[in-house]
Amino acid sequence: MIPTLLSHSWKKLRRSVSFTKELATSIFLSFFALMVVGYSLALGFALDSIITKGLKQEDSFQFLNSLLIYYFGFEFMMRYFMQNLPVLDVQPYLHLPMKRSRIVHYLLIKSLAHVLNSSVFLLFAPFALTVVAQRFGAAAGWSWLISLCLISLCVHYIVLIFKKGLDDTLLGFLALVGTLGLLAASDYYGWFSLSELTAPLFFSTVHNSYLLIGVSFLFGSLYFLNFQFFLKSMYPDELVVHKTTTWGKNQDWTFLQSFGSIGEWINLEVKLILRNKRPRTILFLSAFFLLYGLIFYTRDAFTEKMPGFLLFVGIFITGIFMINYGQFLFSWQGSHFDFTLTRPISIRQFVESKYWMLSAVTVICFLLSIPYVYFGWKIIFIHAAMTLFNLGVNIFVILNMAMWEPKKIDLQKGATLNYQGIGAAQWVMSIPILLGPYLFYLPFSFSGHPDLGILAVAAAGLIGIALRPFLLKLTTRRLQERRYTIASGFRKD
Amino acid sequence: MISIQALKKSYKGTPVVDVDQLYIGQNESFGLVGNNGAGKTTLFRMILDLIRPTEGTVEINGKNVQGNDEWKHYVGSYLDENFLISYLTPNEYFKFVGKLHNYSDADLKEFLEKFEELFHGEITGKNKYISDLSKGNLKKVGIAAAFIGNPQLVILDEPFENLDPTSQIRLKQFLEREQKERSLTYLISSHDLNHVTEICKRIVILEKGKVIRDLKGSDNLLMELEEYFKA
Repeated sequence: MIPTLLSHSWKKLRRSVSFTKELATSIFLSFFALMVVGYSLALGFALDSIITKGLKQEDSFQFLNSLLIYYFGFEFMMRYFMQNLPVLDVQPYLHLPMKRSRIVHYLLIKSLAHVLNSSVFLLFAPFALTVVAQRFGAAAGWSWLISLCLISLCVHYIVLIFKKGLDDTLLGFLALVGTLGLLAASDYYGWFSLSELTAPLFFSTVHNSYLLIGVSFLFGSLYFLNFQFFLKSMYPDELVVHKTTTWGKNQDWTFLQSFGSIGEWINLEVKLILRNKRPRTILFLSAFFLLYGLIFYTRDAFTEKMPGFLLFVGIFITGIFMINYGQFLFSWQGSHFDFTLTRPISIRQFVESKYWMLSAVTVICFLLSIPYVYFGWKIIFIHAAMTLFNLGVNIFVILNMAMWEPKKIDLQKGATLNYQGIGAAQWVMSIPILLGPYLFYLPFSFSGHPDLGILAVAAAGLIGIALRPFLLKLTTRRLQERRYTIASGFRKD
Repeated sequence: MISIQALKKSYKGTPVVDVDQLYIGQNESFGLVGNNGAGKTTLFRMILDLIRPTEGTVEINGKNVQGNDEWKHYVGSYLDENFLISYLTPNEYFKFVGKLHNYSDADLKEFLEKFEELFHGEITGKNKYISDLSKGNLKKVGIAAAFIGNPQLVILDEPFENLDPTSQIRLKQFLEREQKERSLTYLISSHDLNHVTEICKRIVILEKGKVIRDLKGSDNLLMELEEYFKA
């Protein structure tokens, strides 16, 4: 029975719209997977020389053992964000004559098919089979490696229970990260050393198999614990945590009403963003991205030697929300696009509501980025130019590109590793957005006037802003023509 | 067949279903009617152990359904699209459910022949995924799958909804024919008083989760129902 269910999940993957229809996405995903595997393996092979030569540690095995505890801590965090038990997938099986226990086993076994579960093997297998095996014998190498793999799988099942038990709250996670950070800090400052405590434990696997046995036992018990836990809660309404988001619940941006029906639609969109998980994540991410500049502006290498690169940073800081949210501009409201088309709002007003919403956020991002003036006036100068370019040019690129076969988006799903709604348009879109400014900048920069180049970018933005009525009209006309195709695309799942 | 004892489900303190005692006998055709939000689907879900009751129990053939897998062998059901596996074709889905009931390919073929009329050539043999079917056709797939495995009890939520008039009539004939041929208990909810009274000999009216009428075997069920809903 379990193999049949596994074949179903394979069919689900293979037949999903994004897999069959979106070549670009599948290519990207396979490329991504290959990259992860490649990098892990490469790092694994280089591990010994990195530690002995790069970090100047004498005993690479000892050193690695002392770091392992933090590796698993890090793995826990990665898993926390990337891992989920897809409990809803079993809904169609619950009423059929199938043992519940089998369904739970299936879920738990299927959850093992995750990229993260291979990383520990890829990372440490080369090291185990070369360095450890040479020093302590092949058996010791395997014993060490298998122990690590089992610990990683234990972490896997701990995360599943942890996330469910804590109802996936950020608070629980932050508490955990805090504890781990505190331990790392105390290790670093020498108050209390967790790594000193655990390093011999990992080392002992070479001589005896106590740890291996212990970990195997732990793995078994964790599987059993998960099994019991999910067996008892195999109810669809209990499995999905219906979190009642308080975000934006009582907010009504009444001042928007003074802008007429455009304001009403912006108001609707603000509610959409605040009340749903995925767009909300994008909003938070944008706030986070405001700090992006700290990576670059603090280093002279970027500010002095590569001024052209700062255009990039400027585009991102002022336009990250516009780009990230805007790439799915119509997809967000995909589930009620028919509604939109049948309500008394003209296409022009609809387009304008999007335009003003994106513009407003971009201006807000610019205003929030003003403290970067600390790193020099030039940075604000670049930010201002990029804001103008975003407002005058990029916004129209996004408005128009987002009309290219948009797909419906499930708003409640999380944003991490969620490829729903991504199509060819999203890949192509980034090219003009990121390279556009250079079209105006490079000619001046090459002729030795980089400042004039930045002015040219700003001028291009200003021209776009001046042409706004005309560009909006063009955009409206395009949406007018494309709306049937878009609407029928949204009606498909 | 089904015995419900002090069954209660509340969400955040508000009771959605509150049934004191209800017994549905073998070979009975039981209709459930009630306005929106009366708790029909919630009641069905609790009978099928898809929702954990706040209080009380549901027993099928004397055994509590909760955490029990046995009843699934003789209870067929279709409540909504969550019962279907959207990325399979109807044929694959039937085959999968058939396998669970130990159907051979020949058994399944024979079984599906009964539905040829209802399917109207639009479901089997087409290379279409369930996710691409229309609402009416989804319903047909779900209802047909509920009959796989010669169930003693069939639970259907709004079986006539979304079906075209021809299909409604054919489905009605099919349901009646099945019950004549063998011992079969129906548990059907519907908003269509005409259809439900034609199939069901016993009708229970649910209001705010409570059983407020239990009408049995009278000749003018339909009139009584209409009388009630008019008020």
